[in-house]
Amino acid sequence: MKKTSLIVLVSVLTLIPFVGLLIVPGYSKTSPEIGGLPFFYWYQILWLFLATILFGSAAVIWNRSEEGD
Amino acid sequence: MKVLSYLGIGVFVALFVVFVFLGVYGRNYKRGDLKKMDEWSIGGRHFSVWVVWFLVGADLYTAYTFIAIPSSVFAVGSIYFYAVPYVALTFGIAMWAMPKLWKISKEKGYVTGADFIKGYSKSRLLAVLVAIVGIVAELPYIALQIVGMLSVLTVMFHGISNITIVTDLALILSFVILAAFTFMNGLRGATFTAIFKDAIILLSVAIVVIIVVAHSDLSAAFTTLSGNTKYFHVLPIDFNAYWSLFLMSALALYLYPHAITGSLSAKNRKVLRTSQSLLPLYGVGLAFLALFGIMVYSNSSAMTFLGTFASASRGTYVVPALILYTLPSWLAGFAFLGIFIGGLVPASIMAISQANLLTSNIVKEFKPDLNPARETIIAKIASVVFIFIAVGFIFLFPLTYSVQLQLLGGIIILQTLPALFLGLVTNKLYKHSLSAGLIVGLGFAIYFMEVANHFSTWKTTLIATNSELGPFFIGLFALIANLIVVGIGTLVYRYVSKGSELAPKKAETSATAQVK
Repeated sequence: MKKTSLIVLVSVLTLIPFVGLLIVPGYSKTSPEIGGLPFFYWYQILWLFLATILFGSAAVIWNRSEEGD
Repeated sequence: MKVLSYLGIGVFVALFVVFVFLGVYGRNYKRGDLKKMDEWSIGGRHFSVWVVWFLVGADLYTAYTFIAIPSSVFAVGSIYFYAVPYVALTFGIAMWAMPKLWKISKEKGYVTGADFIKGYSKSRLLAVLVAIVGIVAELPYIALQIVGMLSVLTVMFHGISNITIVTDLALILSFVILAAFTFMNGLRGATFTAIFKDAIILLSVAIVVIIVVAHSDLSAAFTTLSGNTKYFHVLPIDFNAYWSLFLMSALALYLYPHAITGSLSAKNRKVLRTSQSLLPLYGVGLAFLALFGIMVYSNSSAMTFLGTFASASRGTYVVPALILYTLPSWLAGFAFLGIFIGGLVPASIMAISQANLLTSNIVKEFKPDLNPARETIIAKIASVVFIFIAVGFIFLFPLTYSVQLQLLGGIIILQTLPALFLGLVTNKLYKHSLSAGLIVGLGFAIYFMEVANHFSTWKTTLIATNSELGPFFIGLFALIANLIVVGIGTLVYRYVSKGSELAPKKAETSATAQVK
């Protein structure tokens, strides 16, 4: 992969969770609830998993493209 | 009123003794010369991948997670759930910044952020300023950890005497244990025990979350709070407060000296990046602990217990109370130990990184011929002195709002962002404008704190704006002021130096011409 497109890909993967969580008005609401838990809470818990996957992929892709340790 | 049984206290004490023993034994783990400061502070970089991962993860389950956040959610509402997006995002920032800092530090032998700043900016003033700010910012954060330790002890001693005596006793014990632990062990001890600590903590979190959630009626808790919208989601007026709290906190975490020390002790840059990228997952336990602040409303006996404390300190006991009333006593003793050392180890690591900054970036700056043995003695004594000063910060805010201590530390440490993080990207910023920005940022921070709290006792780190935008986290405004000064200072310097650069060049050419 070319270096520029690699940087773009890694940046996008990193930025997605920021966008998902910075849109506060979009998720600051009660319904739909899951098991009595308002949307506001479970939406952000969900992002902990998504951020791990997205940051993790970014790190792996980045590491593979670099030489040495 | 329920108290922890002798069995529970026995489990707590027995495991604590094992923990201390491991700390002492840890000094022999891959023995290095402890008299040398860099050995004492970051363990000579011998640590393996997993130890580093535990060390970084250990920083997450602290009194902030166990005590401060549940307390604020309990007392104020969902705005303090900001801790979850903060944890989700901070590692995204870390995986960009820290491997780069690691690489530069490895090449040049840097041990602290101030070393790096001195290296690229060639400004002793800036490096010393950043070191001082790092030391100061750790103080309220250490204070918060002590709050965590003392709230566990307070709940354990509850009922043996009146609450004032119990709290004082808990405070003194917490201080003595922390000071002794730090003085004796250094980071090597703290890191080695971190493996044991993390095992205890991860087990505690899992056990506590599963059992408390199983025994709590979340729907009932929300029904109790119905009509109180601020417990269901963030109110529109607080949208800006919410994102500024979590985004600034996310930017601040890896500026702390202890977080930099932790990252620099990694063996390998790629492993550092991968392990950091996977840390958001640690936040799931934090999210549930934060929700304890709501679940407790459905537990009437825990609520009665909390009612024995004044509202100014009540919130700190939310998690210990839920543990006391839902777990069998031996498990409660185990979980209490988890919370207790969850304050002890991070506080110790923070105090050591302060001491490290003091000796290597301040004392040595003025007395470069300091011999290593003396340096280690100064560092050890300093770490205890810093812990003692931190105790003075504990009552800066009411205990229920002790999360403000961490936020105050965040506002302070954020002012080193231009020098540290921007320094990773460019060396074109004018060094004295970075110093000026840092000082202006701190000045604004104090001024905003005073205005936000009406020049009276500090209660909040949010400042209201006179508009429908609502309040913002003070750290954001202070950082903006800082960045403006850095930007303008650099532009002015470049403009002025462009003029003066031309002059000597002309002189040079003419000089060469004459020689010819």
